[in-house]
Formats: sequence, structure tokens, C-alpha cells
Amino acid sequence: MTGDIVGIPWIVVLIVLPLTGGMACFLFPTISKSLGLIFALAIFTAVVGLGWQLVEQGAQRYAIGGWGASLGIDLYADGLSLLMLVTAALVGLGVSVYSGAYFSREKAKHFWPLWLLLWAALNALFLSADIFNLYVTLELLGLAAVALIALADGADALNSAMRYLLVSLLGSLFYLLGVALLYHSFGSLDIAILAQRMEPTPAVWSAVGLMSAGLLLKTALFPMHFWLPAAHACAPAPVSALLSALVVKASFYILLRLWLEVFALTDTSLGQLLGLLGATAVLWGGIQALRQTRLKLLIAYSTVAQLGYLFLAFPLGTNIAWKGACYMLLSHAIAKAAMFMAAGNILRFCGHDRIADLDRIAQRLPLTLTAFALAGVSIMGLPPSGGFIGKWLLLEASMSAGQWWWAVILILGGLLAAAYFFRVIGYAFTRAGLTHEVGVVPARMEWAALVLALAAILLGFISPAALELMGIGTPFGGERAG
Amino acid sequence: MTDNRKTGKALRLLLVSLLCAIAAWLGYAVLGLSLSHVGLGQLVGANLEASGVSHPVTAVLLNFRGYDTLLEMGVLLVALLGVWSLGGMPDYDESSPGPVLDILSRLLIPMLMLVAGYLLWVGAHAPGGAFQAGSVLGAAGVLMMLAGWRLDSRFAGLLLRVVMVSGLGVFVMVSTAMLLIGNGFLEFSPPMAGELILLIEAVATMSIGATLAALFLGSRPAVGPDK
Repeated sequence: MTGDIVGIPWIVVLIVLPLTGGMACFLFPTISKSLGLIFALAIFTAVVGLGWQLVEQGAQRYAIGGWGASLGIDLYADGLSLLMLVTAALVGLGVSVYSGAYFSREKAKHFWPLWLLLWAALNALFLSADIFNLYVTLELLGLAAVALIALADGADALNSAMRYLLVSLLGSLFYLLGVALLYHSFGSLDIAILAQRMEPTPAVWSAVGLMSAGLLLKTALFPMHFWLPAAHACAPAPVSALLSALVVKASFYILLRLWLEVFALTDTSLGQLLGLLGATAVLWGGIQALRQTRLKLLIAYSTVAQLGYLFLAFPLGTNIAWKGACYMLLSHAIAKAAMFMAAGNILRFCGHDRIADLDRIAQRLPLTLTAFALAGVSIMGLPPSGGFIGKWLLLEASMSAGQWWWAVILILGGLLAAAYFFRVIGYAFTRAGLTHEVGVVPARMEWAALVLALAAILLGFISPAALELMGIGTPFGGERAG
Repeated sequence: MTDNRKTGKALRLLLVSLLCAIAAWLGYAVLGLSLSHVGLGQLVGANLEASGVSHPVTAVLLNFRGYDTLLEMGVLLVALLGVWSLGGMPDYDESSPGPVLDILSRLLIPMLMLVAGYLLWVGAHAPGGAFQAGSVLGAAGVLMMLAGWRLDSRFAGLLLRVVMVSGLGVFVMVSTAMLLIGNGFLEFSPPMAGELILLIEAVATMSIGATLAALFLGSRPAVGPDK
């Protein structure tokens, strides 16, 4: 029995399932809600299956069509891929439960196929070992994300969706040009083979610059974050959750893979540059979040800041630093999804999301505000949350590398986050000047947000096991174990 | 106002010089590339026998790197979903297009269908294939719509959706079926590889043609009262 389960090629199942789910939801729109939930559960199970397989057998490589690299395309799963897949599955399940109640019948018809195809793109991206195939998954991901943003009605949403489309295409094209240069230089598209053949020529340096620039644009690292706040704030709440939690992380994942395996650049001054941009993002995003008057924009700027932390690992380049950044990624994804869902509940309840007019939300939507506060704990990096573990590991890494200034950024960023969250919480307890009509928030939407927020806290308790899983196949190099 | 214009001008100047620097560097890098390119052409040639088709491009697209093509079909479907989800686009005027366009389309559309079929068939051993054939079919669809033709609302429901999905659907089904009969995912064994590829391409052609035409129309066709 155990042998059977380990023998299933979960790596393929994880790509086929969401694709099939997306098509099924498109074909049968009347039952798309139930179909979507069933497929979400099935994908979650498949991630567990793959995790089990990785624990039993170590990192997996799967040659599609039986050709093997360089002729064919390989899929590859190690601890880092598993981390990303688990992140997507947890957030995905939460968003699926939430969306079941969020969308009207007409919108749900469009949401479910697009969301499952977006999930397929994410899974395919996290499992690909081929740089051109990664480009195809980026296209699928970007297009699905644009269509999902446009699901929110109104000129603002269409505008930001259009801007996001252009930014996303520009990023993809930069990346593609880099792929062409690498293919011409080394005659292969497979990450492992490229890593072996790598040598520093002008063409390779161009590829490094182009691919990194394209991916950073998509990841919205400061100062290329200009498109993110509008897009993430205008989208429907579950879509905002997906974008902030998962879509920006996908391009970060590719960047991480390339820098770790293909270019092996982290000790250079380029790594310092990324760290510097990350640090600026933490401070700038925090300050901008403080200045916002609308809740969803505040959360979107908080994403800009939180993405900055991920880049603090680049100048450090040690095993602990990578693990810290990845833990930040996981806990931010879950906490931020919970937070956007809570904001969606508040928006539906009040009919607006002006922070100053959050009239006694604490008494009137207690579950939602609890979810918001718990997610805030993780974003601020207070113990015992997952965000705390991530920051702690980064702190440890920066101290042991003798680069204490990153530690200062970590602490300042935490203080800024505390400032902007307590501002919201403060308004949630007080009576606002004007009263507003009160909408009904389905219990399911409140609970989905709360459960995800609890999961973000829980991550702080299971960190030893999670860090061990992340290390399968030593994705961060073989130096001393974390 | 003038201040704004000045900073705008300075910004543009900065942008232009930055882009020029990048272009110069890229030019330098490209000129430095070795002319003897070590691509995968030879490897493709050596394995062509086992791919089921004799044209290298089709072999790469549908067999060696068929997975890329499978995901590309997904991209096409997502594009359509995105356009349909926007809805509410103005429909084109259904008035008569005039005798010239009418007669021209009656002459051209059968020809276009024939060309599409030819391109599909010839793809196995010469340049051609599903995407090219699908584009021609899509052009025929566009021409028909310009000439005032509309899809009957009886077919605009499930049937139309099945056609739109079939390209990706059949590709995924065939690839997964290979897994179930003991091969790997997307592993077409030589005796039937050619037939499987033709099946996938034929369905993909229909689906691509219909999708492209639908993308041109812009909004979801009106669905009949029964659905």
C-alpha cells in the first residue's frame, strides 16, 4: 500500500489535476463551485502525496515523454519546490473555501476556471527544470492573473489589470531574451545542465541582467513595485490574496533557482545590490503603508515591504539565510492571504474600506478582526508566529555573516509594520463619525480568513519539521545544515 | 506646469540614455557570441525516427517538447476565458455586408478550410501543423463574421465550450492515457506516435481556429434560452 502511494508520479498529477479542474469548471459552470472545491481538495492531497514521496525517496526528477534533458523537458521536485507547492496548496484551499461564498453566480462562472488554471501554472512553474518551460508557465500565470484582476468591475480595476498585463509581458520578454542568450551559449535549456556548463561570458552577464530585471519587475521589488499597489488593491478580495500570496512569489522562485543553481552569484556585489533594494523596499513599503487611508492599499504596500525581506538573503547567501527567507515567504503568503480575506469581509460589511471610518468592527465582526490581528502578528514578526521564525533565522544569518546592518532593517521593518497595523486595529475599536449600511458577511468567509491566520501562527510551532522538509535535496547548497 | 514638463523632459532624456547604454551592451554581447552554435539540432535529428513524424519542428513541438505546447494550449484557453469574462463588448452590426464581401467569403471560406486541412496533414513531414492550420481556420471564421454570419444560439452553450476546451483537453487526456498504459506522461511509443500526434493536432486545429475567431468577436456569443 505504502509502495503504491510512493510509486504514483505525483509530480505529474499535480499539473494534470488543476488543468483538468479548470477545464471541467469551464465546461460545467452551473456546478463550478462544487467542482472547484473538489479539485482544490484533490490538489492538496496530491501535494501531501508528493511530500511523502520526497521524504521516502529524496528529490525527484521526471523526464516528460521519456526523453530526458536536453532533448525533452524534465520536471524536478526538491524541498524548495515542495515548500512552494505547500504554500500554494494551503493558500489555494483557503481561497477556494472563501470564494465559494464571495462571488456572485455570474462572476463565479469566470472565477473558477481561471483560478484553477492559475493554480496549474503555479504548480507547473514550481516543478519545472527547464528555463524555456518556465517562460511558458510564466505566460500562463500572468495571463490568468490579469483576467482575474479584471473580474472586479469598474474602470480602476480594468486600468490596473491592463497596466499589470503590460508590466507582466515586459518582464516575460526580458526573461525570454535571457533564455535565448543562454540557449545559444550552452545549447541546453535544462537548469542542471546549464549549471555544469556555466562560464562567465558577456552573453551570460547579459542574460543574468535581463532575466533578473524581468523577474524582479514581476516580483515587484522596489523600485519596480509601482504597478503592485493598484493591481492588488483593485482586484476582488480572493484574487488580491492569490496575487499577494502566490503570484509575486512565483517569479521570486525562478530568480532564486537561477541565482542558486545556474548563475551561483550570491557572494558578488550583485547580491549586495539586491539586498540593498530589499532593505529599501522594507522601509519604503512600510512608510507608504503608514500613509494610506484605504485598508486594501495599506495591505498592498505591506506586501511591497514584505517582499523586501526575501531579498535580504541574497547578500548573506548562507544556508540559514535562504531558509529564513523561504520561511518568510511561506508565512507571509499565508498571513497576507488571511489579511486580504479579512479586508474583503470588512469591505463587504461596511461597503467601504476607509481606515478612519472602520466603525467598531471589533464588536461587530469579531472573527474577522481576530483573523486580521493574528495575521498582523505574523507580518510584524512577533513570536510565536511563522514570520518570527523567518526573521529570527535572517537575523541569525546576518549576525554570523558579520553584516549587522541587515539586522537593523529587520527590526525597523517590524516596528513600521507594528505602527501601521495598530493604526487599523485602533480605528476598529472606536466609533466613527458616520454610520453606514451594514452588509451580511457569510460565516464561511470569516472562518476561512481565521483558519488561515491561525495557520500562519501555527507555522511558528512546526518550524523544525518544516525546515527539515525544505532541506530535501539540499536546494540551498551543501554547507552546514540549518 | 513648466516644472512638470522640465522634469518630464529630464526623465525622458535619462531613460533614452539608459536604453542606449543597454542596447550598446547587448550589441556587444551578441557580437561576442560564437558563430558555431551548439544547439540541439543534431540531437533532434538523431531521435527523429522515434518521434512518429519526419519533420523536426513538428517532432519538437508535439513530442520532444510537447509539454510546452500543452501548456501553450492552456495559455490560449486562458486568453479566451479572460476575454469572455470581460463580457459586455459591443457586438458587430449584423446588417448585410454587401454583395462583394458576401460572394468573396463564399468563395474563400471553402478554400481556407481546404488549406487548413492541407497544412495540418503536411505538418508530419514538412512545415505546417496545428497552429498554422488553426490560424487559417481562425481567419476563415473572422471572414465569416465580417460577412454577417453568427453562430446559432443553439450551439453557443456547452457544445461551443467543448470545442474551445478540446484542444487542451484531448492533449491532456492522451498524455495521461499514456501514463495509464504503463508509459510515462506524454510518452508516445513509436508504433502509434504518428497517429496520436495527428489526433492531437487535428483536434487542436479545430480548437485553435474556433478560439482565434472567438477572440476576434470579443464577447461570448449569445446563448439560447434553453441553456
